[in-house]
Amino acid sequence: MVQPLRDRRAGFEETLLRTAEESGWEAGTLRRASLYRDAIHRFTRNRAAIVAAIAFSIIFVYVWITPWLSSQDPYALDFSKAYLSPSWDHPFGTDQFGRDLFVRTALGGRVSIGIGFAATIAIMGVGILYGALSGFLGGWIDNALMRFLDALYGLPYLPFAIITLAIFGTVNFWTMVVALTIASWFTTARVMRGQIITLKENDYVRAAHAVGARWHRVLFRHLLPNTLGVIIIFVFLELPGVVLGEAFLSFIGLGINPPKASWGTLAQEGYGEYQAHPYMIIIPSLAIAWLILSAFFVADGLRDALDPQARKNF
Amino acid sequence: MLKFIVRRIVWTIPVLLLVILMTFTMMRQIKGNPFQRTDRAVSESIQRNLDRKFHLDQPWYVQYAYYVEGVFTFDLGPSLVQSNRNVNDVIKDHFPVSLKLGMFAMIWALVLGIPLGIIAALKQNSIFDYAAMTFVNAGYALPNFLVSTLLIYFFALKWKDSTGLATNGWGGWRTWILPAIALGHAPMTIFARIVRGAMLETLQQDYIRTAKAKGLRYRRVVGLHVLRNSLIPAVTVMAPLLGFLITGSFIVEFIFGIPGIGRYYVTAVTGRDYSVVMGITVLLAGIIIVANLVVDILYGYLDPRTRDART
Repeated sequence: MVQPLRDRRAGFEETLLRTAEESGWEAGTLRRASLYRDAIHRFTRNRAAIVAAIAFSIIFVYVWITPWLSSQDPYALDFSKAYLSPSWDHPFGTDQFGRDLFVRTALGGRVSIGIGFAATIAIMGVGILYGALSGFLGGWIDNALMRFLDALYGLPYLPFAIITLAIFGTVNFWTMVVALTIASWFTTARVMRGQIITLKENDYVRAAHAVGARWHRVLFRHLLPNTLGVIIIFVFLELPGVVLGEAFLSFIGLGINPPKASWGTLAQEGYGEYQAHPYMIIIPSLAIAWLILSAFFVADGLRDALDPQARKNF
Repeated sequence: MLKFIVRRIVWTIPVLLLVILMTFTMMRQIKGNPFQRTDRAVSESIQRNLDRKFHLDQPWYVQYAYYVEGVFTFDLGPSLVQSNRNVNDVIKDHFPVSLKLGMFAMIWALVLGIPLGIIAALKQNSIFDYAAMTFVNAGYALPNFLVSTLLIYFFALKWKDSTGLATNGWGGWRTWILPAIALGHAPMTIFARIVRGAMLETLQQDYIRTAKAKGLRYRRVVGLHVLRNSLIPAVTVMAPLLGFLITGSFIVEFIFGIPGIGRYYVTAVTGRDYSVVMGITVLLAGIIIVANLVVDILYGYLDPRTRDART
């Protein structure tokens, strides 16, 4: 006797769930087939990742809201108020010109985070294009592109960025973005190539080729969307590195020009006064550390959520 | 194995040539005439003589060939700014300092980072694990200019008399400790995290269960089976980290007033001393390439499966 479809289906699900329980999986992960729904579910149950995501949002809100709400003028000079220690009026104190550091740190954060995101997006763009093409085309092109990448790996990171800045002759937002991008897109390209090569062997890709899909359809429709998880993780892994790189360059005096400032420039100004006013270097440095840590834990949580097989080695 | 090593060594030559070409091309893009120190124009005949002396009147590939020849005969040419020194002198004066600092920092990172990672993994989810990982994560996120400044703040201002550690200059062990800590703390956190992750993974392998099941002592299981396999990932990151330590000490050298190559590099860039900038960049690139080579060979020795993949 043929069972009604619904019953058969229920029976099937039951077996699935029982098997799942026996092998120690959680039942919840089986009911939904969607990767991203699963990922969100896993992410929200990871307490460290949620705390990190909140911390990440807090610094965003602080950086973008403070300059609008505060009555302090971040560029007004008032020497009678120079070097005030942190207080209610000036939560982060004031600098040598009497400028309020609470607002200036927020403005510096806009520059740092802005450069960080712009460079990260650029790194993703270049890296994905290069890596995906290399992995997708294969053969001698892949070989040549990878050998070239190997050579680039030999270049020291900061000197490379410094030379790029020297070529431009001026340091502003966009030259900084370009310098940081040029110095650090290699890893993304390499990881993307690995992803594409693994995915290429999947049956659905072969099937797509077999039914006559053109190469661009295979690449953009079947391969790239499946690397999205890795890309999202990489955004949060690259961002801290870029922000730190920008801070280093600013600290050795290659930052964007005053009166604008990034966290790196603020730290450098603070470094000059560390003996008498240590808060001036501590605060921007802690802001950098806050961003790096929260981005790092978000990336960690995302990796566990999106890519449960590749558990953390790092 | 020998074939693998030879192939790997031969392969570094084109890589080095390409790196020199990249650096060379980029340096040519920088605008400005290094001979024109004042507003007064350099007279045409002098400029022509200078061009001839430095082969600037030749096409770029000839200049490149001259430069490559210089690199392989260890003659990096004269400094453009300091008329009585050449690049070799600059490197001879400043590089050993950076090398030493980088080595000390590496030792610090290994000596603290690897045991931290091992103990944290063996006592997973204990208080020690949490404390160690908090320390490691905080250390990872703090930029090294803050770490350096705090070290100076405490050791030079607060506890100066009790420790006797110097915070400025380079000479004797008293001046080596603090900068090595400041430079080594970031790699230390990376080692600790990688070793912990690798240990946890290894501990779950079947052969560990087998080793335990056949009654081996705990110490032998951990010492022989777990450690050996967990330290391989740490070896692979050593090369980039060593490169980073030797090349990336700009800030630590700047803050601690150490006459190393990183500090000189920044001076050379702002002073437009192109031949020095280029010489140092090529040197640093050479170090990174050699470090990668050593690690690849080590890795091929430790994990034979990787030999074919890494030519």
